[in-house]
Amino acid sequence: MQHKRKNVKEKDSFKSATVFLKKFFEFEESKPLTALIALFIGSSIISPHFLTWYNQRILLLQMAPLAMLALGEAAVILMGSIDLSPGSVMALSGTVAAIALVYWHMPVGVAVVVGMLTGALCGLINGLLVTKAKIPSFVATLAILVAGRGMVLIITGGTPVVGLKPFTFLTSDIAFLPSMVWIAILATIFTFFLLRLTKIGREVYAIGGNEDAARYSGVNADLTKVIIFTMAGVLYAISGLMMNARLEVAYPWTGWGYELDAIAAAVLGGVQLTGGVGSTLGSVIGAYILTLITNILILLGVNPYYQWVVKGAILAIAATVLTRGLRYVK
Amino acid sequence: MVENVLKAENIVKKFPGVVALDHVTFDLKKGEVHGLVGQNGAGKSTFVKILNGIYNPDEGRIILHGKEVVIKNPMEAKKLGITLVHQEVMLVPHLTVAENILLGKMPLKSKFLVDWAAVFDYTEKVLKELGANIDPRLKVKELSVGEQKLVQVARALADKAQILCFDEPTTALTPMEKDSLFEVIRRLKNAGKSVIYITHYIDEIFDICDRVTVLRDGKKIATETVSEIKPEEVVKMMLGREVSSFYVAKKKRITEIANKKPLLVVNNLSTIPEKAHEVALKNVSFKLYKGEILGVVGLLGAGKSELGKALFGIEKIVTGRIQMKGKDITIKSPLDALKYGILYAPENRQVEGLIPEMSVKENITITTLNEISKFLGIIDMKKEREISLKWVKDLNIVTPSLNAKVSNLSGGNQQKVVIAKILQTKPKIIIFDEPTMGIDVGAKVEIRRIIANLSEQGISVILLSSDVEEVLSLADRIIVMVKGRVTREMVNKGISKDEIISLICKVEVEKVAA
Repeated sequence: MQHKRKNVKEKDSFKSATVFLKKFFEFEESKPLTALIALFIGSSIISPHFLTWYNQRILLLQMAPLAMLALGEAAVILMGSIDLSPGSVMALSGTVAAIALVYWHMPVGVAVVVGMLTGALCGLINGLLVTKAKIPSFVATLAILVAGRGMVLIITGGTPVVGLKPFTFLTSDIAFLPSMVWIAILATIFTFFLLRLTKIGREVYAIGGNEDAARYSGVNADLTKVIIFTMAGVLYAISGLMMNARLEVAYPWTGWGYELDAIAAAVLGGVQLTGGVGSTLGSVIGAYILTLITNILILLGVNPYYQWVVKGAILAIAATVLTRGLRYVK
Repeated sequence: MVENVLKAENIVKKFPGVVALDHVTFDLKKGEVHGLVGQNGAGKSTFVKILNGIYNPDEGRIILHGKEVVIKNPMEAKKLGITLVHQEVMLVPHLTVAENILLGKMPLKSKFLVDWAAVFDYTEKVLKELGANIDPRLKVKELSVGEQKLVQVARALADKAQILCFDEPTTALTPMEKDSLFEVIRRLKNAGKSVIYITHYIDEIFDICDRVTVLRDGKKIATETVSEIKPEEVVKMMLGREVSSFYVAKKKRITEIANKKPLLVVNNLSTIPEKAHEVALKNVSFKLYKGEILGVVGLLGAGKSELGKALFGIEKIVTGRIQMKGKDITIKSPLDALKYGILYAPENRQVEGLIPEMSVKENITITTLNEISKFLGIIDMKKEREISLKWVKDLNIVTPSLNAKVSNLSGGNQQKVVIAKILQTKPKIIIFDEPTMGIDVGAKVEIRRIIANLSEQGISVILLSSDVEEVLSLADRIIVMVKGRVTREMVNKGISKDEIISLICKVEVEKVAA
């Protein structure tokens, strides 16, 4: 009798555990989160240096700018578009802010605003190219990728802008963490709730899910696209400012190739490239995974060139898991 | 007795929310052109896609030359000698005719190099056999649509096809191109090949086919020998006759309407189609009164959908005037139409009506996000629940929960979600495009009842339907469309189904007679 009761109890706890797991995997972010936890535990085991406060702090500092790019990129991809301009926009915004501070002797606060406006303008142009000129987002943002980088090189003459000490308020600690980490956390919460709880967020998912149906339902898809591209531009600009703070120099080649990291972060985070499925929170998890991989490989003393191969392999594996069940893809 | 090349027995194919094929049995003889007709959603394309391995059937078996076969994919179908000539031109435009014909099976010399001489010799020969005067060295993009169709046929022959399935091959062809395609089909027939010919043009059946099988709502209605049947009979079978209790008889309000001013006046509306398969509207005029149901009947290709889309700002209007309550209005986009309270329930719910990844709740409120969002555009989740729950109850939408993905619902319930999101905007005019097509009979009755109720509530309805009995039972007035024109406008009083059928296929029947 006693024995039997114990058995039932065990069964119950087993049942509640499966229910919990089932519930957990209903969340869109559960797969990337599981991968992240696994990588985190694995890294803690292989390297004694990984799970130290010092290392985790560096990891977060490295991750914050990428997280900002991933947030903007994810919002754009959720609409079924794509943005190739994050790297160039972050560089241009950061450089303009640096020039405003150093050459135009503006207060740092104003320089920050100027940088963010630069990002907003780039995003606005992206949005208008897509909705008004009706250029597919891949091509429109490719144009900004190229032209944006050109602008950076023109205004800097190809040489770095130095003396960006005032920007380091972004790396200084507030409540145990660098302020830019807090900014990234706030931006994550903001975009997550913007997309999940507000009218425009709902419209983003509707456009990504089925643009025809959304338009036939009275969604002003063009307006939504312009707003989201512009918002993404601002997020990239903040990323550029974070880079200024971290390096105290604005390099003209900052963010070169970062658009690929941003897209990879979104995909790793479960955002479907066709749009309509995923969340910005997922993309931040993706950004964390990418940064963690770099970090652990460095800790293990692996030749930095291998990082790219490992990242590529992980992206391919993740994408395979995510596209299971599709007949074929392009 | 001619031998059966192919026999398909009790084929069943289900898609989420709809039974596309319901125990369809079909046979094909050697050297036969077998027509397959039916309205949109009847299951014609699904059936040939199963024969070609693009879909796999849920039930049933396929017997080829007396042996049962399982056709898993298009490659296998090709090996078995079955090819599909797609409705759209499926060729690589930047490659030559010859390369397209021999794509994937280029003759080689010394194992790696393409034997170009053999390529052109062979393709010239195949094209000649077809009686097609096309230079195999030309790029496909330089050919007309009709010539491209012939290249597709040549490619099928290069695959050693014994059974060729044509899916609506004449949609984008000129009359002359159509003639040469028919000539090619006759040659194929004489060479002992079998042809399955899908169409919704009745006259083509009588031009080219030996036998015809009629499908409706996924079921086979009949197989007849063409020489022993009249066009009207085929049309009747296509359009169907359900048990009369499945139709909802609405009290007609003809006398009330006669004294009122029209709500909407459409004058000489003409459009340019954006897609190849669409029909141009030509000088369409009609009036719509408050609270009436205006039935629009016509076969596929009559321009019914295009009319609905033009009024909703999707189809491009070139000329014409639309007046609402006596004032001119311009409708350039769905946003404009919504502003005037004009809404459209599309024929293709999955593609144009719903956002499949979103929940029932989110699909219902998508039209009225302003109404349910508060300060800073934050959505009032409680209000959203209340609104969608109300519609789920009012329209009897069967769903596991408000949060269930809309793509998991049955066709009838999906249609109700579309109606709910439209009604939520408090519309003045609703355009229903084939509202009961492809859904089960029970749901059809419910949808018809909902439409009848709307008109009671003073909402004007434009009912675009190829189900003549549906229109006769619901509409107050009826307009008939043939090939983009309105050919008749009448009050729905004392008209018989046969009269309407003869009106909607008038042009085609005349052509057959001539």
